[in-house]
Amino acid sequence: MYDIAAEHATAIGATIVLVVSLWLALRAFSALARRRVTWALSLVETYRATSGIRKLAGILMLVSGVIHLALIPSHEGITGVLFVIDGLGFIVLGAAAFVTSWWRRPAVLWLWATIVAYVIWIIAGWETPDQVGIACKLIELVALGLVLRLGPPGRRTRPRRLWRAVAFPTLVSVATIGIWIGGLAHPDSLHAHAGALLQPVAEVATPGQRDAAARLLGDTRASIARYRDPAAAIAAGFKPGPVSSADPLRHFVNPANAKAILDPSHPQALVYAQTNHGLRLIGAMYQMPRAGQWGPDPGGPLTQWHQHEGICFSPFGFEFSFETPFWTCPVGSTGVTTPPMLHVWIIDNGKEGPFAADLDKTVQKQLQGS
Amino acid sequence: MSITSPAISANTTASPSSAPEIASVLVVTQASLSLVAGLSAIPFGIVEPGFRVLSVVTILVAIAMFWLARNLRRQGRWARRWVTALEAISLAASLLLMVLPIGAVRGPVPVLVNLMMPAAVLWLLWTRSGRTAFRKPAPSDARGAA
Repeated sequence: MYDIAAEHATAIGATIVLVVSLWLALRAFSALARRRVTWALSLVETYRATSGIRKLAGILMLVSGVIHLALIPSHEGITGVLFVIDGLGFIVLGAAAFVTSWWRRPAVLWLWATIVAYVIWIIAGWETPDQVGIACKLIELVALGLVLRLGPPGRRTRPRRLWRAVAFPTLVSVATIGIWIGGLAHPDSLHAHAGALLQPVAEVATPGQRDAAARLLGDTRASIARYRDPAAAIAAGFKPGPVSSADPLRHFVNPANAKAILDPSHPQALVYAQTNHGLRLIGAMYQMPRAGQWGPDPGGPLTQWHQHEGICFSPFGFEFSFETPFWTCPVGSTGVTTPPMLHVWIIDNGKEGPFAADLDKTVQKQLQGS
Repeated sequence: MSITSPAISANTTASPSSAPEIASVLVVTQASLSLVAGLSAIPFGIVEPGFRVLSVVTILVAIAMFWLARNLRRQGRWARRWVTALEAISLAASLLLMVLPIGAVRGPVPVLVNLMMPAAVLWLLWTRSGRTAFRKPAPSDARGAA
């Protein structure tokens, strides 16, 4: 949901090409119009006579059409066929906005149907939401908002006025929530849970990788044993993270180890659990210097790194919530993407295992009650 | 002889400047997105007291943005001032976050929502046609000032 699917990247290039081509074409037609070339004069006059709101709606529909056409090769079956119809429809309606008077109602229907269909496809799991698809929906939502503003005033009865006021915001909100629900309900194989993207790895570990993973666990356990007492960790330069009522785990981070790469003697953080008898050391966390930079995985699928994304972080109380698919967060918080991290749990982490992104829920409950 | 078609003539009967209309549509879109962000933070507010406050503030800001969008469309000068202030703060904050290594702006969606939309609203309100549209005192100014 917060990434760009590799096969969708062509749509970004196609959009840039379209916008540049339209701009160059307009410049060329203007130059020809100045030389009194009749057809160019007619085109330029048509463009100039069109109101700004209509121009923008038309251009946004053209952009959506080109995005749909550029995505045809990566969509098979009925979805691919619908992309052809949708793309051509948007191009016809986008062009019609400049030269006809009948385009408005079909455009409203086409935009509405496309947005609703996308949400249905996402919720049904027939399409995975990514930034290109979501950006395309944003373009269509803005185009729909503009086209609706071009409507005739009509009878100004109270229900009609109320409907005109709430219809568009409702559609934006429903589309956002629909994409979100679909994205969370059908995570791909690289999403452990909402907000955690896993490193792509092979499905099965080799015997060598199993040995390497066991070695990493043993080395980490031996190295951090000296920090069982949190005071020893603080004395060694680890800084206690803030206390959060929502998270019983506390990370002690050592900025001096920021540049070390998967070094058991220099882990980036120590993880303590808040128990009834104080803090208990339960693991270490390795972290890469930059987001998107996956670390070495000696254990293959056993030591899979993960990166947190789509998180809203609030510095007021060090709290977290989720970012919407349109990358919006509550006022006073900001979206963050963390550099990849790898947890090594030195306690028995149940069925999740020693390198899981999260502590096993049952283990966590046991720790909190101990 | 005019080469303009009847349909084109119909286009020219639109408002002299579309800037307030386009800006109001963009602000309504932003307000709707903020509303969802605020509502979605409510469940987190159950265990995180900070988000309890932030979600309420976000919902109030979203409601205020709907109100401002309505008055932008009516070419209220006070609405233009408030929207300019809000969008400038939003754009400045996004630009600041973009230079920080926290991955706050990464890809086309955050660029469109957090950078291009506020920049487009500011441009629409301060371009020549935008300034012209707000030059005459609108009926909503009297209400807004009151």
